[in-house]
Amino acid sequence: MSKAPTLGDRLAVPLLVVGAVLSAAGFVWSFTVAPLVNGAEVVPEMVAGQMVSNQLLFSQKIFYFHVPVAMCAFIALVFSFVYSILYLVKREARFDRRAQVATEVALVFAFCTMATGVPWTRFEWGVWWTWDARLTTFLILCLLLIGYFVLRAAFDGNEKRETYAAVFALVMCIDAPICMFITRMIPSSLHPVVFRTDGGLTPEMLIGMLMALFGMMAIAYGLYRLRVRQQDMAVRIEALKDQLEELR
Amino acid sequence: MNEILMSVYGAVLPAAPYVIAAYALILVGLFVYVAFVVRGLKKNERDIEALEEAVARLGKAPR
Repeated sequence: MSKAPTLGDRLAVPLLVVGAVLSAAGFVWSFTVAPLVNGAEVVPEMVAGQMVSNQLLFSQKIFYFHVPVAMCAFIALVFSFVYSILYLVKREARFDRRAQVATEVALVFAFCTMATGVPWTRFEWGVWWTWDARLTTFLILCLLLIGYFVLRAAFDGNEKRETYAAVFALVMCIDAPICMFITRMIPSSLHPVVFRTDGGLTPEMLIGMLMALFGMMAIAYGLYRLRVRQQDMAVRIEALKDQLEELR
Repeated sequence: MNEILMSVYGAVLPAAPYVIAAYALILVGLFVYVAFVVRGLKKNERDIEALEEAVARLGKAPR
């Protein structure tokens, strides 16, 4: 009989639904309630009963999902780090499978981060890409994530592959905190410092971002759980095939 | 339109295609991954069912 679904497996689909609803709510909030951010100064003009003296930046709306998907990528990397260590210590294949899935989810969300960041870069700074510290370290992270799967593909399913992948994941995860804190280490960086004590976010903006953040986190965990279940089922399939061979 | 208003809103319309592209790419990326995972899950479920049936059948058959 196939293994009974765990609590995490049963929560996967509801989490995906909750995540989708929260993300949609965050999207609507960010475009309707959250105010536009001020850009360059202009000659003051009365607009809808309010004095406006700056350009209003519509491109800043990308922020409400750009930051959540980046955070999800980093959180997935933490999972990958933890499971890689667990594999190296305990040598159980299930930890390697979980590390692999966590890295996969990190790659998907890293792609989403790049996909949102590049259009914003193009509009705000006038170029599709710049070798800014944050952008460069994040690109390195994406290349390392791809490299993880290239490494796994280079070996057949055995302990050597799992060990090399776990070690590579530990090295790869070193880039995550560098990426997060680089804008503080290099103050001249073009990329804004997002989490800081003077905020820069009004409560309306913060609520929109938090809705998107929790929505994306729920989606990321739901996807992780579904993919882990798929991997566990693949192991069960191999065991059944072996059993079938013995019976023939 | 008033020149000042055009300047005030000058960053809105030109930015719109980039904002739309950013959100569309997130949706496409996540949707593709969800479709990949769901397809894999359904295939594995079918395979497990078929293999368990075959094992049960061969297990009962006289050698």
